[in-house]
Amino acid sequence: MGVFAICLLNGISFGCILFLLASGLSLTLGLMGILNLAHGALYMVGAFVGWTIASHLGFSFWIAALSAGCVAGVIGLIMERGFLRHLNRLPNEQVLLTIGFVYIITNVCLWIWGSIAKPPYTAKFLSGAFTVVGWPYPFSRVAIIVVGLSVAFGLWWLQDKTRIGAMIRAGMDDREMTKGLGINLELTAAALFFVGAFLAGFAGVIGAQLIGANVGLGLDILLLALIVVVIGGMGSVQGSLIGAMMIGLVDAFGKILFPELAMFMLYFLMVIVLVIKPTGLLGRKV
Amino acid sequence: MSSSTSLQTQKPLAGTRSASAAPYVIAAALLLVFPLVLPSYYLSVLTMILIFGLFAMSLNIIFGHTGLNSLGHGAFFGMAGYITGIAIVTYGIRSFWTSAPLGILGAAITAAVFGIIALRVSGVYFLLVTFALGQLLWSIAEKWYSVTMGRSGFVGIPAPDLGLSLLNLGSPLRYYYFVFVVFAICYYLMSRLHESPFGNALLGIRERESRMRALGYNVWLYKYIAYIVAGMFAGVSGILYAHFNGSIAPSHLGFATSALVMLMVILGGAGTLWGPALGAALIVLIQSLASLVVPARWPMILGILFVIGVMGFRGGIGPHVIKTARRMFSSGSNQS
Repeated sequence: MGVFAICLLNGISFGCILFLLASGLSLTLGLMGILNLAHGALYMVGAFVGWTIASHLGFSFWIAALSAGCVAGVIGLIMERGFLRHLNRLPNEQVLLTIGFVYIITNVCLWIWGSIAKPPYTAKFLSGAFTVVGWPYPFSRVAIIVVGLSVAFGLWWLQDKTRIGAMIRAGMDDREMTKGLGINLELTAAALFFVGAFLAGFAGVIGAQLIGANVGLGLDILLLALIVVVIGGMGSVQGSLIGAMMIGLVDAFGKILFPELAMFMLYFLMVIVLVIKPTGLLGRKV
Repeated sequence: MSSSTSLQTQKPLAGTRSASAAPYVIAAALLLVFPLVLPSYYLSVLTMILIFGLFAMSLNIIFGHTGLNSLGHGAFFGMAGYITGIAIVTYGIRSFWTSAPLGILGAAITAAVFGIIALRVSGVYFLLVTFALGQLLWSIAEKWYSVTMGRSGFVGIPAPDLGLSLLNLGSPLRYYYFVFVVFAICYYLMSRLHESPFGNALLGIRERESRMRALGYNVWLYKYIAYIVAGMFAGVSGILYAHFNGSIAPSHLGFATSALVMLMVILGGAGTLWGPALGAALIVLIQSLASLVVPARWPMILGILFVIGVMGFRGGIGPHVIKTARRMFSSGSNQS
């Protein structure tokens, strides 16, 4: 029973990190039609910047998380305004461009932070643990769950209940008509991309509490985020949340039940979803 | 007046082949004679160019001609290479005539399985799924140590043994000519495929899938067969690479290889037959120069190449070359 509860919490907390990451990817893909494969690299930048600020320089963890998000957001903004803006509706070109950025960002990170992995770090007040059914459980993981679910709620509210969300959705459905209604789509797109990239960097710091930071992270974490997007469907917050939770839980329980096969179970899940519903569980049609 | 080779419509393909055999004869002659005077390092670069040229052309069958953007093409390249490694190193099968067909068959089976999964979706989703499937193979190769030798992969794969003492491929020059012959055969086969009714159907699917469906074509089956054929040609290049490099590792199956070959195709010009080979030549050349001068910064240079290639040469350098060549030809004929 105790193991089950721990596993459940582990799965949910890892799922929350994946959600923070995948939601940005899914929103830029589903609502702007931009596939940003550098999203994982932005996560990695966030993890490194966060490590420098929180662990190396000793500032507050939350300052680290916010500033890492801003650094990633600015990089994302440069990518969008400088390059991706000119590649509207050219998915192959977007893919290659963002792969190029993966290489550049990874190499710069290697240059600055070196190839030695940074250990997981957390805020001082989150370093304790409490007891779940007789087992100690770290506060930091609970904090991850709280942050993840609050961001999920905030994004859902922004997407479904606000004027900005309506503008973004309208822009994806009918670009010309939305522009004709006098909505500044360029500004909306830039803002959305900034938010997506910010979330990636922010997730980097939140996730570093579990997995630290290393230069291979950009691709490893991207793969998980892509599987989440394929499963949950692109362009909806709820889809990303469901996909991320499924992957998080399958990963956590898989590691306990079938340690050898944990990685393959994720793919297995993806294949099953593709067979049943190719557009993902809650995808918007693109 | 040569018709402008607009990339959106991409119709120059038929014209380029029927134009003249001269460019092919010249290219073949250069590739046959040039290696005799090349220093050994550049001979190996040239061998790499042919191998990756073949690999890039194989991706082009589905990417350029059919419009399926696969980011998992390294899977077939690496799969065939791995089967070569397993056959030779683990089981001691020396004969090339056994190990190579096994490798190609392995690539074809992989493509047949992946195709069933990936072809359920299209567009960006297809790219995501092929990417994930390629990474699946990569993680199997890394984890399944008893079969794949884990992270280090197979080392010590010898030159192919053709079973004829006359055709000993031990020296780099001899192996180069072997690669050249295989490349030429595959090029011929791919050009025939491209001109066949099957190839035209693929172009039709790329341009207007719904119309092809309305005309009664089984679009899914065409895509599926193209995917398998592309996987088999990628397998051929993977086998050549495993023998050339002497080793095969998980990275050959995964993202790095798949992204690199995609860059070759886009940089060279998706849709033209030989453009991808040109893109491969360019990337391999730059890579070999960069690895001599600044090995630690090669990934960054590669990244910048991706950015420049996408922003500056969208549609590829292949079509530019065709246009220039046509202009030269037409001005020459005017003078004579």
